[in-house]
Amino acid sequence: MTGPTYGALLDAVRGVHWQARRAVSSPMAGTHHSTLRGTSAEFSEYRLYRQGDDPRRIDWRLLGRSDRAYIRLATDRAILPTMLVLDASASMAFPVATRAKWRRAQEIAIGLAAVVHADGDPVGVAVRGDRGLERVVPPRTRRGVVSEIARVIDATNPGGDDPIAPRVGALRSARLAVLTDLLGDADELLRAARVRVAAGGEVHLIHIVAREELDPPRRPLLAADPEQPALQRLLVDSTRGAYENAFGEWRAEMARRWRAAGAVYIEVVTDEPASRAVRRIAEAPGMAGGRV
Amino acid sequence: MSWLLPSAFSIAGGAALAAIVLHLIARSRPVAESLPTARFVPQRPIRARARSIALSDVPLLLLRIAAVLALGAGVAAPVFAAAHGRVRRIVIVDRSRDVADPREARDSARAAIRDGDVVLAFDSVATRLSGPAALDSGVTGPAAGSLSAAIAMALRSAAQIASQTDSIELVIVSPVSTEEIDPATTAIRDQWPGRIRVVRLREAASYEQAPRVESADGSADVVVAGLSLMGVMQPHGDVRVVRGRPSAGDTAWASDSGHVLVHWPASAADAAWEPRPTIDAIGGVASASGTLIGRFPRVWTLTGSAVARWADGDAAAVEHRVGRGCIRDVGIVVDPASDLTLRAPFRRFAERLLEPCGGVARTRRADSSATESFVAGKRFTRLATASSLREPSGESSPWTPWLLGLGAALLLVEVAARRMDRRLT
Repeated sequence: MTGPTYGALLDAVRGVHWQARRAVSSPMAGTHHSTLRGTSAEFSEYRLYRQGDDPRRIDWRLLGRSDRAYIRLATDRAILPTMLVLDASASMAFPVATRAKWRRAQEIAIGLAAVVHADGDPVGVAVRGDRGLERVVPPRTRRGVVSEIARVIDATNPGGDDPIAPRVGALRSARLAVLTDLLGDADELLRAARVRVAAGGEVHLIHIVAREELDPPRRPLLAADPEQPALQRLLVDSTRGAYENAFGEWRAEMARRWRAAGAVYIEVVTDEPASRAVRRIAEAPGMAGGRV
Repeated sequence: MSWLLPSAFSIAGGAALAAIVLHLIARSRPVAESLPTARFVPQRPIRARARSIALSDVPLLLLRIAAVLALGAGVAAPVFAAAHGRVRRIVIVDRSRDVADPREARDSARAAIRDGDVVLAFDSVATRLSGPAALDSGVTGPAAGSLSAAIAMALRSAAQIASQTDSIELVIVSPVSTEEIDPATTAIRDQWPGRIRVVRLREAASYEQAPRVESADGSADVVVAGLSLMGVMQPHGDVRVVRGRPSAGDTAWASDSGHVLVHWPASAADAAWEPRPTIDAIGGVASASGTLIGRFPRVWTLTGSAVARWADGDAAAVEHRVGRGCIRDVGIVVDPASDLTLRAPFRRFAERLLEPCGGVARTRRADSSATESFVAGKRFTRLATASSLREPSGESSPWTPWLLGLGAALLLVEVAARRMDRRLT
């Protein structure tokens, strides 16, 4: 995988850590704070014994000295299984000549996978290409999983208009990173994300926006939606302003709704280097009111 | 430089002008292009177009103009020839039996020929010679001359060289005898748009004496009886009429100089010629000397030089050369009970069948008024101009394929440029 295509990117994201936004309830030992406090070697605090506590956890020496029963608490560390979901619909293959949106989504996914893998967390990917063929790599920690993810993503050709909300709803990983342009089933996707967040999961929405969408060509253009060929609108000087306003308002509305749902919303424009975008995603503040 | 088809270049120029105008006034209709966020564009009628004030897509316009002009120039066929003031000659040399001395014809022709001239020879048909040297092997033939054929060939040759010269002079080296001028000659001569120079030769002696006909068949035969009424039957003659199958002796006799064997079968069993697919009957037959009306069965299909034809144009009698003589096959079956051969029309009709091989040489010199009329045509006083003799469909320009290829290549570049432009956007 560390071929010429992604070598520079992987070098650039080395040392980046993607910490969980809240304590993780996984029973397996990892690097993230766990909601469980057990008997690990990392002592945290004492707590008075309460009825129902396991008597085996009472610190008998302290009981002998103080004549009070205390429970010894230790902070556990846990893993955070992460699943990357890529939107490979036709709108991601834009601009037609460079397919910059899809290319940027690929690179960010590979970068995030490498970061997650370096943190010792299981990482996987789910993507459906233009022939409706769904490719899934379940979250794994073994060596070579990043290469496997890269192969799966590279073999995918964006096209069609398959919704990704059902896929997001079906995944059970603790952390989901969804890379999409939100031009498909945005409402259903948001609904599925709310369910995931309510279930204690983390959802990161990486909104991919093409520079050409923000600033379309200045010449008269009959804009056609690649996922709805019948939708054609005339983009000329007189309609450009209205377009830019509508698109900006929609993006702001998306950011507000996703953040309100408890997800992390990050907008990435295609002219931003992938390594910088990966750092921004990994270092983004918590769920409440993070920066865009 | 001149154009073989100037109108094509004019049309191409018009098309180029139209392209410029279209680029100037075109309201650029946007091409549908992919934009995933198209839904955020306010809905407007698709018919709305943006006005383009200046020339749009100048490189594309230049490519299109170049392609159209190249194609137009290719079809118009440019001819680069230094033709100004140049005069070329077409020299037609008579090789028919009308010429008394072939050497006189050759010498007269050589005196008229210059470098680059076209040399034609004619008798009943005209052919183009490779050059003056081809005249050395020339001897006069037995065929009668035809000035109509000669001028028709000259017109075709003139069309081929018209692009390389300014004027064309037509020189005819011939005795211009009466038999060389047929009813069509005047009309064909008028097709030549200039005066004609005639170098007159001495004409051959005319041979128009009455035939002497012999026949082994008795006067009881219906055809021999008819011929007898013409007063041409002799014990020994130059023409032998055979009503049965010819013997080997008859064929040997026919090969002698001046002998004509007329094989005129009395019935279908007397000839082994190719039978017609279906035997039919026809109401008339004509020779150069007369027409015979009657009901004749047609039994054979004859091939050869026709001397008589049925009413529908099929050959009724043909002539074949045999040695220095000839054999005439006459496929006209006459009813033995008929009195047709005893009438005057039969005698007129049969005159042509009894003529010497190739027909009677009527080589009398045409009178001066006929010759003058022939030379001047529609009172032409100048040489024919090359432009009036051009036959665009028969000429070609060596530049045409290159220009058409260039035009096609430019069109391909234009298509590629348009696609590239669309891709970049």
